[in-house]
Amino acid sequence: MLSRTAEYLYWISRYMERAETTARLLDVGYRMSLFPNPSGYNNEWESVLSAAGAIEGYKNKYDTIEQKNVEDYLFFDESNPSSVYNCILNARNNALVVRTSFTPESWLAINKTYQEILNLKEQKFTKSDLPDLTEWTIEQVNLFRGSLSSLLRNDGYNFLFLGLFIERADNSARLLDVKYFVLLPKPQYVGGNIDNMQWSILLRSLSSFRAFRWAYDGNITATKIADFLVLNNNCPRSLSFCIQNIVKHLTNLTCSPEKVARIYNNLKDLNTKIQEEKIETIVEYGLHQFVTQFIRKISSVDNEIHKEFFN
Amino acid sequence: MYQSETVIRNHYNNINDWLDQMTSKVILEKNAEAETHFRNIGITFSTNNETARERIIPFDLIPRIFTYTEWLRLERGVIQRAKALNAFLADIYNQGEIIKANIIPKEIIYKKKSFEPSMFGFSPPRDIYSPIIGIDLVRTGPNDYFVLEDNCRTPSGVSYMLENREIMMRMFPDLFHNNRVTPIDDYPTRLLQTLMSLAPIKCENPEPVCVLLTPGPLNSAYYEHSFLSDQMGIEMVESTDLFVEGKYLYMKTVDGPKRVDVVYRRIDDDFLDPLCFNPQSVIGIPGIMDVYRTGGVNICSAPGAGIADDKAIYIYVPEMIKFYLGEQPILDNVETWNCEKEQELKYVLDNINELVVKEVDGSGGYGMLIGPKSSKSSIDEFKTKLSTNPKGYIAQPLLDLSFSPTLIKNQVEGRRVDLRPFCLIGEQAQLSSGGLTRVAMNEGSFVVNSSQGGGVKDTWVLAE
Repeated sequence: MLSRTAEYLYWISRYMERAETTARLLDVGYRMSLFPNPSGYNNEWESVLSAAGAIEGYKNKYDTIEQKNVEDYLFFDESNPSSVYNCILNARNNALVVRTSFTPESWLAINKTYQEILNLKEQKFTKSDLPDLTEWTIEQVNLFRGSLSSLLRNDGYNFLFLGLFIERADNSARLLDVKYFVLLPKPQYVGGNIDNMQWSILLRSLSSFRAFRWAYDGNITATKIADFLVLNNNCPRSLSFCIQNIVKHLTNLTCSPEKVARIYNNLKDLNTKIQEEKIETIVEYGLHQFVTQFIRKISSVDNEIHKEFFN
Repeated sequence: MYQSETVIRNHYNNINDWLDQMTSKVILEKNAEAETHFRNIGITFSTNNETARERIIPFDLIPRIFTYTEWLRLERGVIQRAKALNAFLADIYNQGEIIKANIIPKEIIYKKKSFEPSMFGFSPPRDIYSPIIGIDLVRTGPNDYFVLEDNCRTPSGVSYMLENREIMMRMFPDLFHNNRVTPIDDYPTRLLQTLMSLAPIKCENPEPVCVLLTPGPLNSAYYEHSFLSDQMGIEMVESTDLFVEGKYLYMKTVDGPKRVDVVYRRIDDDFLDPLCFNPQSVIGIPGIMDVYRTGGVNICSAPGAGIADDKAIYIYVPEMIKFYLGEQPILDNVETWNCEKEQELKYVLDNINELVVKEVDGSGGYGMLIGPKSSKSSIDEFKTKLSTNPKGYIAQPLLDLSFSPTLIKNQVEGRRVDLRPFCLIGEQAQLSSGGLTRVAMNEGSFVVNSSQGGGVKDTWVLAE
């Protein structure tokens, strides 16, 4: 497989995953905007922007934070590199180059999505359309992922999934971090109903709300949620699940065992640690520190993958 | 389709019945379905503006049909021509017999930009310079087919041939139950076999590694590049994916370097090797020509193959067929005046109102004058051009191209068509059982090029 092909496949999944995350965040913002906004909480759209890593770009463009503008910025804006539109555009442009390396269905899934978002963009949208847009995005991403199931299980497949899990690990970690520190409510609200509501919205944004209910009994607590999103191997968005899958798809690569070994060596400590750690220890040590370190590690793994395989 | 005003040619009867029973609502729906299909599969032209909608070529639902016997003659004629063009290339890059025999003057060969001096004295595998040739044909009467031009470099359009058939079979399966249409979907397999049969001498691999070299996603034929490499199961590479080491060409893969035996290039000569051609070029693979000349890799088509489809050389193709193959040409050229010759120039200037004048290096329907359809000022403009640079032009009569029924705003109207079948020459010479029919969608127009309002049709060859 061409190095360039591997790189493009890796990035297609990253973009598709990112499109989904951005859409889910918009959905979170939309839900939150339907609830009364008590003083003492940050503006929910601001949190959405920071979680999407788009706050700086947004503020350069707009003076005030308004739902309509945030929606437009996160969904359609061409100047926002992580807007759903740009993610789909980039995924599609990459797919155009490597369409020979996956199934016609995968190409169709991406290209149809692209054709449709062009139409959506032309028509723009009204406020009540946002749930439709996010639902549409998630559907499209699922269509793409579904199409991958008929792929040859070769290195291309593994690069696609490496990209997916690197992106997801990064996204999950950032969401977690945003909830803990940017969204961190004033002490009197901690444990109150509104705080719990925000937690449940975080779970929704990771499409894990129902799953959490099934996995844990009783009340929603910060510790349980942290455990679910950091250490639970059954949760497909948890940090540990992502790491496990990064390791799996990395070691499944048949090309260049020595390159694989080098990257794996860098990763294995984190993997061991996350499998053995207790959530209490992490919380005591500081979730923020833990997550920051995690994000840094993922980013260095991403760098190594680029250096070893794509150059 | 029509033999005379009212009589339908036999082999179009089925289609006529089919058209009769289609309501305009169905036609509208099917047109929309075809457009969506083409957009979804991405058979589009890219534009420079990334966010602008890509263009698709208008697709006409009514197929163009050839009978088996009609096709047989075209097939023999095209293959004959393709063989002669390759023989010509092999000759002029080696002995130059055709020049010694005073059939073609040496100036018009050796002074052409498309003549590649670095190819002199080198013979590519099997002496095949141009393994994929697209010949543009027009029909002017019941059995009168003429060759309008040859395309020996990197003819495009074969993906349309294949996709047009695909969409027709999908939308109108019944048509294919009721008509015995020869399949064409084995073209990519045959293309790959052709490329593999042209492995270079130093190739030790029983299954030579072939790649398709594309200029990248901004090229207007990019869809075709990815489509063909996908169908052949070979890598589509850009020049940055390739590099030369020692006497071989390699591609950069996740496993490390992998040797490449045959490059099906869809880029121009100028961008192949900056060491050999255009030193300013930032694309290209430095050293590839050296590897090529020492038998480490084959480049298809060969650098310098473009001289064979030069419009000034075109005039001599019938002579080539006689000279190299000892046969009579099966397909005729269009009568052509070579403005380089004083007498012929005079004739062209005197009769310019009746003629089509073409730039020797022009393509895509640009840089040409259709005398009977042009204003006095553009005719005068061309007269000046002809007088100052006669070498740059040829002239042909305005051919009354055949009409093919075409759906225009839900009405069947006649529009002019041409045909480009694709000829493959490797271990054997073969012609696609069909081709790309281009149709001038504008009323009265003679120009079928997609850049100027041309559309496409499915092309059927009926089985014996």
